[in-house]
Amino acid sequence: MATPITAGAVAGEYMETLVIVEWRVGIGDAVAEGDVLLTIETAKAAVDIEAPSAGVVSAIFAEVDSEVPAAAVLCLIGNDIADVDYDGGEAPVTGSSSSSTPATAVMAAERAAEAPRAAVSSARIVASPAARRAASAAGIDLRVVRASSPSGRIKLRDIAGASQSAPAFAGSAPVSAGLPVDENGPLKVHRSGATGGAPVFLIHGFASDSLSWYPLDRQLAKSHPVYRVDLPNHGASPKRQVSGFADLVREVRDAFDALDLDGAHVIGHSLGGALALALADTRPRKVASLTLLAPGGLGPKVNGDFISGIARASRPESLAAWLKVMVRDQTLVDLPFVKAAFAARASAALRAAQSHMGETLFADGTQSFDLVAALHRLDCPTRIIWGRKDRVLDWRDALQAPGHVGLHLLPDVGHVPHLEAPDLSLGIISALIKSI
Amino acid sequence: MTVMRYAEALNAALREEMQRDPSVFLFGEDIGRYGGVFKVSKGLRDEFGDARVRDTPISEQALTAMAVTAAMSGTRPVLEIMYADFLPLSLDALINQASVFTYLWEGQVDIPFVLRTQGGGGVGTGAQHAKSLDAMVCHIPGIKVVAPATPADAKGLLKSAIRDRQPVVFLEHKLLYNTRGEVPDGDEVLVPIGKAKTVVEGKHVSIFASSKMVIEAENAAKLLAKDGIEAEVIDLRTLRPLDLDAIRGSIAKTNHAVVVNEGWTFCGYASELSATIMEHCFDDLDAPVARVAMPDMAIPYSEPLEMAVLPNAVKIAAAAKKALA
Repeated sequence: MATPITAGAVAGEYMETLVIVEWRVGIGDAVAEGDVLLTIETAKAAVDIEAPSAGVVSAIFAEVDSEVPAAAVLCLIGNDIADVDYDGGEAPVTGSSSSSTPATAVMAAERAAEAPRAAVSSARIVASPAARRAASAAGIDLRVVRASSPSGRIKLRDIAGASQSAPAFAGSAPVSAGLPVDENGPLKVHRSGATGGAPVFLIHGFASDSLSWYPLDRQLAKSHPVYRVDLPNHGASPKRQVSGFADLVREVRDAFDALDLDGAHVIGHSLGGALALALADTRPRKVASLTLLAPGGLGPKVNGDFISGIARASRPESLAAWLKVMVRDQTLVDLPFVKAAFAARASAALRAAQSHMGETLFADGTQSFDLVAALHRLDCPTRIIWGRKDRVLDWRDALQAPGHVGLHLLPDVGHVPHLEAPDLSLGIISALIKSI
Repeated sequence: MTVMRYAEALNAALREEMQRDPSVFLFGEDIGRYGGVFKVSKGLRDEFGDARVRDTPISEQALTAMAVTAAMSGTRPVLEIMYADFLPLSLDALINQASVFTYLWEGQVDIPFVLRTQGGGGVGTGAQHAKSLDAMVCHIPGIKVVAPATPADAKGLLKSAIRDRQPVVFLEHKLLYNTRGEVPDGDEVLVPIGKAKTVVEGKHVSIFASSKMVIEAENAAKLLAKDGIEAEVIDLRTLRPLDLDAIRGSIAKTNHAVVVNEGWTFCGYASELSATIMEHCFDDLDAPVARVAMPDMAIPYSEPLEMAVLPNAVKIAAAAKKALA
C-alpha cells in the first residue's frame, strides 16, 4: 500500500489550486524521510514538499507547470516501484496543462519489470585517482570532503585538509559547542531553467533560503540556467559554524567555483548582496554582471533586533511580525506567505544555527564587513536596487557607490525589492543581462 | 666540455663514428658537396670521400629502401631525409622492410641504420616543410625513435643510434641547429637510447617533452615559478622505447602531468604519452593528463598564424595551471 502525497496543510486550507514548479524526484527514485519531493507554488510562495517516510516514488500524477486542486494527490511513495495502490485522497487529477497522468501509474508498474535503480540515487563522487587512494588509506569518507578545485573534483590537497580535521568526520563531538550539529559537505545549489543561455547565480539573504527567489528565479529560468545557492545553516545546505564573513565568502565561492560557470550574472539580496559583491571582487573574470538587491556590507548600520528576532522566531505569529518589517506593503505578508515561510524554518536546529550565525556576522548589531572598496574596484556592469522604505538596512548606503554603478532607489519599497516590485526588478535585471 | 652548436655536435658524432667504423657511410640529398642544407655533414665529404658521403637524387622512397638493404648487407648507413614532412615516402621501407626483416629472417639479420631527418615549425616554412610527424614513425614496432633537445644529447644519441643493431629514426628540429650547449669531450661519451633526463626539478607538476618542446617546457617552468608553481621538466630524449621508470617516478612525486608534442593532437605522440601515463600511473594522478600539441590543421604559412597554433611555453604553463587548479 503506497502513501499518497498531497500538499497538505501547506496549501490546502487557503488555496483552491496549486502549481507544480519542479519535481526533484522521478519514478523509481528511492527517498528517505524528509527528502524534498517537489516544489509547488501557492499564492505568493514556492514551497517544498517533503517525503513523510522512506520509500520509492511509484507514481507521479502532475506535470511541471500544471495547475491542480490543492487537495490533489501529487505522487505516491510505495514500498517499491510497483506499489501503486493507495487509500483515500482524490482520484488522480489531470492538470490543466497535463495530458499524460492517467497512464502514469500503469507505466510505473510496467517499469517495475525493468532493472532496479540504485537504492541511493545521489550523484557519483568525483575525485581524482590520487585523492581516492589517499582517502582510502586515511580512512576518510569522500562524501564528507569538499572539492576546492574549480573542476569540482576532489583532489589530493582536499584529502590532506580533511585528514587534519579527521576527528570531526569520525563521529566525535562537534567542534562547535554553540551548535547542536556540525555538518560537512558542500553547499546546496538548486539548478533550474534553460540549458543554454548565460548562467544566473542567486545568493539569498540572512534567515531566508533559495525558495525566496520565487518568482524572479522562474522568470529568469525561462531563458537562463539558474543556480540558487543555499547559504550554510539555510535551506538544504549543511548546518555548521561560520567563523565570520570571510568564511562565508569562501563557502559561497567554493560552491560557485564548483559549477565552473563562465560569464555568470550574479544576483544577491541583503547579506547575499554583500556575498555577491565579494564573489565578483575575487572572481572578476567569471562574473559578467552584478545585481545587488538591498545589499549588506556598504555601511555599519543594520537592524539588530530584526536579525535576532527573525532567526529566533519559533512560531508563525512571531515570524510574521518580523516579515512585516521586511516589506513596505504589509498585505504581502498574508497567512499563506507566513505559513510557507515558517514551513521553511520549522527546524529548531536550523533556527539555532542561524541565530548563532547572525550573532557572529552581526555582532554588536553592526555590519563589520565593509565592501565599499570592493564596490569601487568592480569593473563588471553593476546595478543596485534598493527600496527607500527599507527598515533592515539603510538604503542611503547605496550612495557610496561609484559613478559606473547604476542605482535604482525605489519609492514605497522595503527590504525585498524582488518581492515588492517584482516586475520592475525583473525588468532592471533583464535589461542588464541583455546589455552584456 | 666544449661549447658547440647542435649541428656541430651532430657533425662531430658523424665524424667520430665514421673514423671509428669504416662500415659507417652517409647518403642523402645535398649532403656531400653542399654539406647538407643545415650543414650537419659539412666537411665530411672532403675528409671521407665520395664513396662514404654520397649525394643522391631526390627519392625518399628509394633512399630508405637502399638504407635497409645496405644495412642488411653489413654496412651501417646513415640516411638524411631533408624534411620530416617527407617521411611518409619512407614509410613503406620502414613498416614493411626495416621493422620486420629481423623477424622474418628469424634473427639472422640486423638492420643497423639511422634515418636522420628534421621537422618542426616556427620559421615560416609552411604546411609542407614544418610538420612534426613523430607519431607516424613512433607507431612502428621494431623502430627506435630519438629526438634530442641539446647538443650534448644530439651527439651522444647519434653515436648510440649509429652503433645500434636496430633501425633508428633520428628526429632533429630546424630551430635547434643553431642552439649552443656544452658537449662532453671524448669519442666514447654516448647517451643511451631509452633514457629520459630530468632537466628541471619540481614537485607540483611534471611536464614531458622532447626536442624543441623541451625549451618551451623549460620556459613554461620559469613562467610557473612566478606563481610559486614548481614544475618538473622531463626531456624524454627517446620517444620509443619510452623511459617508463622516469615517467612513473616523476608523476609519483607531482601527481600532475602535462604532455607536450609539436605534432598534431589527434592520434598524436602526446596522446600516446597520455594513454601510457593513464595506464601506468592512474592512482598517482590528481588531475587528468593535459595534452599540449599542435591543433589538427595545416601549419599556416603566415607567421602570426603559425605562432598562434604551435605549442609554446605560455600554452604549456596554462595547461599546467589548469591541471593544478
